[in-house]
Amino acid sequence: MIVVENKSVEDILQMIAPYKKVLIAGCYGCVTVCLAGGEKEVGLLASQIRMARQKEGNPIEVLEQTVERQCDKEYLDKFQDNVREVEAVVSLACGIGIQYLAEIYGSVPVLPGVNTQFLGTNRDVGQWEEFCMACGECVLDKTGGICPIARCSKSLLNGPCGGSQDGKCEISKDVDCAWALIYDRLSALGQLDKMTEYIPAKNWHREKGPRKLVKEELTLERD
Amino acid sequence: MSKNTNIRLGVYLCDCEGKLDQSIDLNKVKAVIQSRADFEYIRIANLLCGTLEKEKIVQEIDKYSLNRLLIAGCTDPFIKRQFTVLAEENGINRYEVEFVNLLIPGKENTEGAVSIINEVLLQMQTRGAVVYEEIDVLPEVLVIGCGTEGAAAALAVSENQPVTVVDNDTFRDGISLIEGKKNITVKTGVKVVGLEGFPGNFLVRFLDNGKHAKQSFGAIIIALEAQPSFDPIKYNGVELGERILSLSQFVKNDRDYAGQKVTFILGQADQDSLLSYATALSNAIALQEKGADVSILYDDMKVSADELEQDYELARARGVNFLKYNGDLQILTTDVAATVRYWEPFLPQIEQIRLISDYLVLAEDYVPHPDTADLAVVLDVRTGPGGFFQEDNVHFLPVMSNREGIYFVGSCHGPIHGIELDKEVETAKAEVGRFASGNIRVPALQPQVTAEQCAVCLTCYRCCPHHAIEIVHDESLNNMYNSAARMNPLACRRCGTCAAECPGKAIQLPFYSDEEILQKVSKPPKLVAYACENSGTLAAEFAKSLQPELQENLQIVSVPCSGKIDALFLLKALEQGADGVLLLVCHKENCKYVWGNERADKRKEQVQRRLAEIGLEGDRVDIVHLAANQGNQFNASVRSMVDKINQLGSNPGKVIK
Repeated sequence: MIVVENKSVEDILQMIAPYKKVLIAGCYGCVTVCLAGGEKEVGLLASQIRMARQKEGNPIEVLEQTVERQCDKEYLDKFQDNVREVEAVVSLACGIGIQYLAEIYGSVPVLPGVNTQFLGTNRDVGQWEEFCMACGECVLDKTGGICPIARCSKSLLNGPCGGSQDGKCEISKDVDCAWALIYDRLSALGQLDKMTEYIPAKNWHREKGPRKLVKEELTLERD
Repeated sequence: MSKNTNIRLGVYLCDCEGKLDQSIDLNKVKAVIQSRADFEYIRIANLLCGTLEKEKIVQEIDKYSLNRLLIAGCTDPFIKRQFTVLAEENGINRYEVEFVNLLIPGKENTEGAVSIINEVLLQMQTRGAVVYEEIDVLPEVLVIGCGTEGAAAALAVSENQPVTVVDNDTFRDGISLIEGKKNITVKTGVKVVGLEGFPGNFLVRFLDNGKHAKQSFGAIIIALEAQPSFDPIKYNGVELGERILSLSQFVKNDRDYAGQKVTFILGQADQDSLLSYATALSNAIALQEKGADVSILYDDMKVSADELEQDYELARARGVNFLKYNGDLQILTTDVAATVRYWEPFLPQIEQIRLISDYLVLAEDYVPHPDTADLAVVLDVRTGPGGFFQEDNVHFLPVMSNREGIYFVGSCHGPIHGIELDKEVETAKAEVGRFASGNIRVPALQPQVTAEQCAVCLTCYRCCPHHAIEIVHDESLNNMYNSAARMNPLACRRCGTCAAECPGKAIQLPFYSDEEILQKVSKPPKLVAYACENSGTLAAEFAKSLQPELQENLQIVSVPCSGKIDALFLLKALEQGADGVLLLVCHKENCKYVWGNERADKRKEQVQRRLAEIGLEGDRVDIVHLAANQGNQFNASVRSMVDKINQLGSNPGKVIK
């Protein structure tokens, strides 16, 4: 899941300062699951904005709408009536949703209501943890199912480094050393020999530029 | 709920023994509302809470086939409870009974009464009826633990339905009591390792002598017996031996003590348990009757349980010596005797007393069965003080767990003595008896989920204190997952915590939907109080009798549990015009629904943070932990909140439309 964190209301108020009527756009996808951009949060933020602006003596009209996913055009189309009504949109979707919404409705400013954080898991209510950085070349087979790119502070492919102490990373005692976790897991799997296997460096050059994935056998021939 | 086309409404107007006569003309009220012909029956009563009235109402419900009741008069919570019970006993769901308070200050006149009754009548006539669901359930009951307590539970339950008793151990003292009995299956070497499903249809996973197995049951009774644990440190390091026995050793041996001097020592190791007092008393009586010379050395004689006082009196009458000590004691043994040296509290000037006995019997502590912690995790039931099953919560009756269909019997939730056990066995038998017929009819009042808004995020599933939620997959569920959360009507206790936590606003609790609650604060007075019906609402009713004027600028919005108080409700009340919002919730660790009040605490903090973010005073929101009988506390809290609001001035964030 894509994990996001709400922007401070102060920042959002600043972004919408020039406007008198805005839409808060929620998404029923990842941001609902991570309790930051679903219908509930849309309602809470809208209420906060109305009260804040009322207090300044500068009332604002706030519309609220949430759609299935902001990363798909068909769902974004559902916003059209409300978007036409407002001077700006605050999207509570991840960076993907915000951008796609902005692309579809080019004539209205689309503003971010969240800071997109990482790809991670939801261990329990209110707790998220980064698990993947979408590097594009998965090595989890070599590392006991624990990602050294996302979970080692240095993204070391051949760890641990000298900063690993008692299973914790030198940057903070609250951060597990990924390579200590990898060691323990490989040990439990009886695959400790993998610790000595050298993992070659990844090619981080972005020679291909922003990534695109096109599967010719699936694409439609649209005229 | 579905639209009801067959509403048969009975209206009762009570003049409270003539008290209302001076201000309200009930005959006129009756005549006016009778002009609306939409109800079945109407009657003016002199005192509805009188005994004979109840019989009369029962007859009227039957005669006119009433399925909804409106009772206008006072709204004393205890009278309300009486009538809801009466209605339920006569086939009318509690949610089909409405009460109208005719004693509202300023509205105590005929017109006021007519308008308020009309308003409620309209609601009752337009809203849908409670729908009942028939659910197939399994009558089979699983008893975990085959000590004497598990055996007692199994024997009782087996009178009506089949019972399987499992125990991880092979030799237990309950086995011989139940083996071969009708309706009872005993399995030893069996450990419970997993649980799925809901009351009536639990799937239990076992390790049966090392092999995986599974079986379905309607209900589960936990009877893992507490175990005595002798701790020498509690007796200054004394070792058990020939002349010094622990109470549990003593109970098990069958030596003849006639002519011997036996002393029981209580109060050193058994601070929280009445069991050792009960055991010592009954054994002392028996010993004395068989010709032993028995003494009981105690620091505080605890007899606060059924029939213990009687045993104490009997023991005294039989000639058992009761000797009180103070503080530490010293125990010395020789080959021929055991001596206790102790201080007698009423004779402090004399030296330590020496009591020489042939045998000393020392009370001991009880600890939970060693499987308790693991089983609690497997079954998702909560433990409490000392690591025993069941938390320390006034709302939890002895056999109740935080899950429907799972019950505790006996010392698994703390050492208890025989008479208490008998009662628990009876209670558990009645509880599991609901499943005996194989079919249960329940009102479908559990929260409803709109699949289109459900992101199957698991927040409700994880926040449910009763393990009442499942994620179901069905092609008819109209979202990208074809899945949605579903609340099980037999497992759900209707606290509404799930509805308040849902990030998609997909969950609504019947009779307490967001729409219904927010409607109540659409034009709020200065102060709004969201009140838990188990504490705040009742305290408010009580408080009203003490200081009615305090509630004039106060809107009380009742919720079934403070876990239902959504952060959005707090912001909305302020946005729509309130100057302050109070949350009236149960005392900490005493939420009827486990942790609703803790969730309410967190939401208050969240809303205070949100108010601070927009430059509004966090003090406009406060939480009060109180009990149902704390009317004074309620008034004090309202007064202090009103003072705070007056200091802060009008809420600058309110958006008046």
